[in-house]
Amino acid sequence: MKKILFALFLFVIVSGSINAQSSINPDISLIGTFNTFTNFIKGTPEYGKLNFSDPEMELFVDGYLNPFARATANISFENNSFGVEELYGNIVRGLPFDMQIKPGKFLVGFGKLNTVHVHVWPFLERPLFHQVFFGEGGLNDVGINFSFLIPTGDVFTNLDLGVFKGSSIIPLTDSNATDRGINPIFVGRLSTFWSLDDYTNLEVGLSGSYGSYSKGYLNLLGPFASLTDIRTFNYFYSGLDFKFKYTPDSYTVLTVQGEGLLNNRDARRYDLTGKPVMGRITNSGAFIYADYKFQKQFSFGVKYDYTAGIVGSEPTFYTLSNDDKNSTQGIETWFSYYPVEETSVVRLGLQHLFFNYSNGTDRPAETTIKLQFLFSLGPHKAHPF
Amino acid sequence: MKKIILILLIAIVSMNYANIKVVASTTVIYDLVKEIGKDKVTVDFIARGDQDPHFVEVLPSYMLKLRNADIFFRIGMGLEMWSNQLIDGSRNSSLKVIDLSTDIDKKEVPNYKPDASYGDVHPFGNPHYWLDPENAKVMAKEIYETLASESHQDEAYFKKNLDEFNSRLDKKMQEWTNTMQKVKGKSLLFFHASWIYFAERFGIKTAGFVEPKPGIAPSPSHNAELVQIIKSKNIKTIVMENFYSDSAPNQLSQLTGVKVVKVATAVYGLKSVNSYIDMIDNIVNQIIQNS
Repeated sequence: MKKILFALFLFVIVSGSINAQSSINPDISLIGTFNTFTNFIKGTPEYGKLNFSDPEMELFVDGYLNPFARATANISFENNSFGVEELYGNIVRGLPFDMQIKPGKFLVGFGKLNTVHVHVWPFLERPLFHQVFFGEGGLNDVGINFSFLIPTGDVFTNLDLGVFKGSSIIPLTDSNATDRGINPIFVGRLSTFWSLDDYTNLEVGLSGSYGSYSKGYLNLLGPFASLTDIRTFNYFYSGLDFKFKYTPDSYTVLTVQGEGLLNNRDARRYDLTGKPVMGRITNSGAFIYADYKFQKQFSFGVKYDYTAGIVGSEPTFYTLSNDDKNSTQGIETWFSYYPVEETSVVRLGLQHLFFNYSNGTDRPAETTIKLQFLFSLGPHKAHPF
Repeated sequence: MKKIILILLIAIVSMNYANIKVVASTTVIYDLVKEIGKDKVTVDFIARGDQDPHFVEVLPSYMLKLRNADIFFRIGMGLEMWSNQLIDGSRNSSLKVIDLSTDIDKKEVPNYKPDASYGDVHPFGNPHYWLDPENAKVMAKEIYETLASESHQDEAYFKKNLDEFNSRLDKKMQEWTNTMQKVKGKSLLFFHASWIYFAERFGIKTAGFVEPKPGIAPSPSHNAELVQIIKSKNIKTIVMENFYSDSAPNQLSQLTGVKVVKVATAVYGLKSVNSYIDMIDNIVNQIIQNS
């Protein structure tokens, strides 16, 4: 049924654009991604073989609603199912204090990279700490964001403040919690941009997110606590990000970008008698990468990743974001070929993961090699910094 | 009371002398605005002179420029695909956005449904109209009208500046036309399909382009075709914007002896190009010296 509805949606859009080409039509663009890969992870069926992933697609419909507001829809097809990746309005001008308001479902501005669509990233693999602290799809949530320009003279400074459902945070936590997804979370980011000279730019951002990620029985496994002992588990993420870009000419671009997240949260711990008690844990994650575009058509780069938790493990209350014992590190390298501007990209990447278990578990490192073909059909917007 | 009156007087005086704040999408427009507005305008630009105006990154600092502006002039015809993102990002609801292509006699407007198979074809026609000095007069007139409507009391001042500019341009036009007689009717090779307005104004024939299609990188097979064209039509010169890579033109030069002329198609594109008239001077002189 979903497929039929989606097909109808496509038909309406495409037939509309063909039959009534006019300036009031929204922009429509389609991103297709096709991955092949092999890995060297012992015991997996893909080991050393050429594997074909199911193709992925994103359909963007974007345009002005009126002189003051825009609207965007991003319909995705991943893992053989359709989904609403983003759907939001954005009042861009005309509000008091030059505020912008963005209600809907969208990529939330915790850090800089999270708001950038995956197909624009120069690398293939989502940063490890995004997977652990935001989930596989990044911090993508339903809510409302308020954006303010801070008057700092010739320096561009922006403050984003938003309240969200918490969908990206909650599913990673206690599956037995009583009211998952009911309590909103708050996300904010203060960013400042400097043009160091005509060819060099730098942006630095500070992010924070606060909320309840779970509410549950503290005594779920403990024998001595009361059954009615329900506690709220709060979290606070703080983040630091930067992006540096040097563009000496039309064909050469050096980008260095990094982000870090410090996680501080309530967690269920046990005292010496085995009784569950409310504790507090602190762990972290970070990445940094450099991408060098050395001709109009070629780029290469390297990324280093670190995160608390064991990436790829089943998300449960006791793993991933609540894991302050174990960690994962990764190195990713890539080489990209852009045959004709950015309408298509062929990218070869290699990721090597190392796992560190506090209990001494000896897990071999894992290597994955991926070849990606990505195309972009339709109008190409200029890339924001 | 005296203080209040003084403050009011200062405010009124400063209002009378308040400059119109203008941002231009390119340095060519920037220079024309300076010519017409002179000391009655404060003007800034977005795309640098040594930058491909098709591809400008959406920088927050550009949004800040537009946030403080009264007027934003742009070339239009789809050249500045990046400009709407800057306008939205500026949050400036009183910003006047003026498209200078309105009264331009547009060339190469597709009479077919353009798509990406044709390369970077602009659906509203070729937007590089500023390379024809006669079109610079059309742009200057539009700028004058906009500034005059923004500041009625300065209309005569702007008109005087416009007339002076047009007069200088007319004299230079005579000079350029005479100089270009040497290559009139001859064929030149260009890098990108941006020269139709210039070529038609000065009677130059276009033998072809180094890019196989607009915006598409040169290929060995296309270069091989160009070698044949250069030899068969006795082409002496390849003219190209200085922000493009000269790798493919230099290969053609090695194979055929054709000269590669890199010129600025925007003000400040070269150190010696500090005005629109400098820019056309430079293009004309480079072509004549190398043909």
